[in-house]
Amino acid sequence: MKAYLSTFVMRWKMELQYRGAVIGGVVCQIFFGLILVSLYGALYRSKPQNLPLEAVASYVWLQQAFFRMLLSTDGELLDKIRTGGIAYELCRPIHLYGFYYARMLAQKLLGSLLRAAPMLAVALLLPRGMGLMAPVSLAALTVSVLGLLLGLLCVCALENITMALTMRTLDHRGVMAMLNLLMMFLAGNILPLTLFPDSWQRVITLLPYAQLLDTPIRIYTGQYALAQAPQALLIQLVWIILLVALGEWLWARHQKRLIIQGG
Amino acid sequence: MDTVKLYFRSMRMQMKSQLQYPASFLMQTLAQLVMEGGEMLAVILIVDRFDRLNQWMPGDLYFFFGLMSVTFYLTECFGRGITGAFPGMVRSGQLDTLFLRPRGILTQILCSAADPRRISCIAVGTAALVMGSRMAKIAWTAPKALLLAESILLGMLLILGLFMIEAVFCIYSVKSVELVNAITYGGRSACQYPIDIYARPLRVLFTVAAPFALVLHVPAAYILGKPLYGWPGWAAFLCPLSGGVVFLIMYAVFQRGLRHYRSTGS
Repeated sequence: MKAYLSTFVMRWKMELQYRGAVIGGVVCQIFFGLILVSLYGALYRSKPQNLPLEAVASYVWLQQAFFRMLLSTDGELLDKIRTGGIAYELCRPIHLYGFYYARMLAQKLLGSLLRAAPMLAVALLLPRGMGLMAPVSLAALTVSVLGLLLGLLCVCALENITMALTMRTLDHRGVMAMLNLLMMFLAGNILPLTLFPDSWQRVITLLPYAQLLDTPIRIYTGQYALAQAPQALLIQLVWIILLVALGEWLWARHQKRLIIQGG
Repeated sequence: MDTVKLYFRSMRMQMKSQLQYPASFLMQTLAQLVMEGGEMLAVILIVDRFDRLNQWMPGDLYFFFGLMSVTFYLTECFGRGITGAFPGMVRSGQLDTLFLRPRGILTQILCSAADPRRISCIAVGTAALVMGSRMAKIAWTAPKALLLAESILLGMLLILGLFMIEAVFCIYSVKSVELVNAITYGGRSACQYPIDIYARPLRVLFTVAAPFALVLHVPAAYILGKPLYGWPGWAAFLCPLSGGVVFLIMYAVFQRGLRHYRSTGS
């Protein structure tokens, strides 16, 4: 356990080195958020919906703030497979899945916290219907933070599966890009899942992608009442267990058949 | 004329070289299709829920989306040297070699890269244009077709010009400056939808500073038979020229910037 913890801490420190890039990224992201909330504002003026506009705007801001959590970040492993450097990794006396899981967790957690804090501060100051609304209750806020952490565990498990799938092909860019785009769409980054047709939502909210950000956001904005929250968290938990188990199995399998490139 | 021939020849070569890895090319093209298909699906779902956006009907919205998509990805396909490869050329010192050759720097940059994977994005955009044009029942005439071509061509120049801002920053700072993405990629995201739905600050930004509205939206609205702000027909033909103006200004700035280029090579 100590090895994974120190992997986490090391990666955390590394993330902290790139503060300049973070500022540029945040300004850009805020701008994109502004474009989106103006678009939804205009759409709501044409035809108001049952779902309040504040909830949609909040959805947009929370998605933008935690965008970094979805973004796949660890290209290093795939490079190592391509160059044969993976041989050194296999020599380490630790479990590879756990090693990469811890790295990813640190990267995603710090990466999104650094960006989310300033963005959410700006979003809270914007006028009603454009900015981030206050959480429906203090209890909802607490539960949604819990949901967000579960979502984080879930996205790391998902990304580890993607990596395992691409481990054995040397050119992973195509498959990787496709899986990531699928994730962006089904996680509600391109269009809030709350605006999908209602019949689609029933299925989509059960998929693993909806567990990442959609569930905590819905708890925050009150689309999931507090009474429903335990059920929502349970679905997240079930997916985490399933995805980690699947990832572990795939890694173990592919590791055995891995071809070391060299030269 | 010679330069144009050289450019097309390089493009052919670039495309051919990318096609040498057919499986990889196919997968990446497919990924692009998923990306742009997702964007289009978002528009379809929005139309499904909201029916219309102010005076713009579903057909109009698909037309606007398609026009932006085709223009933007044609630029990324044929102007990859500026839109994608340039920061790397500065960082690696590869730009030095271009100064030694008896051709314009910009020509060489443009000749140095192409991105045929974008073809699937262009296809999605074209599909949206056709769908929009059918649904909006556009009565096509020769001037309208000409206007569409003008809009796309000058739109490409505009987008190239905007990406050149990043290139100029890059010459001075070596690092690529992501902040510029706000007007290039941000412009694409915002101007997939007609400009008049936005509040004044965004409208001013994308009409005056990065005139996507003048180059794409004014002609598109005219073609759709719902002139933007009620402007007359000749304005629709005149406005896209602003894209060319942006390109010329940025071309001059870029040439000045190159004089300050200091190689990173060791």
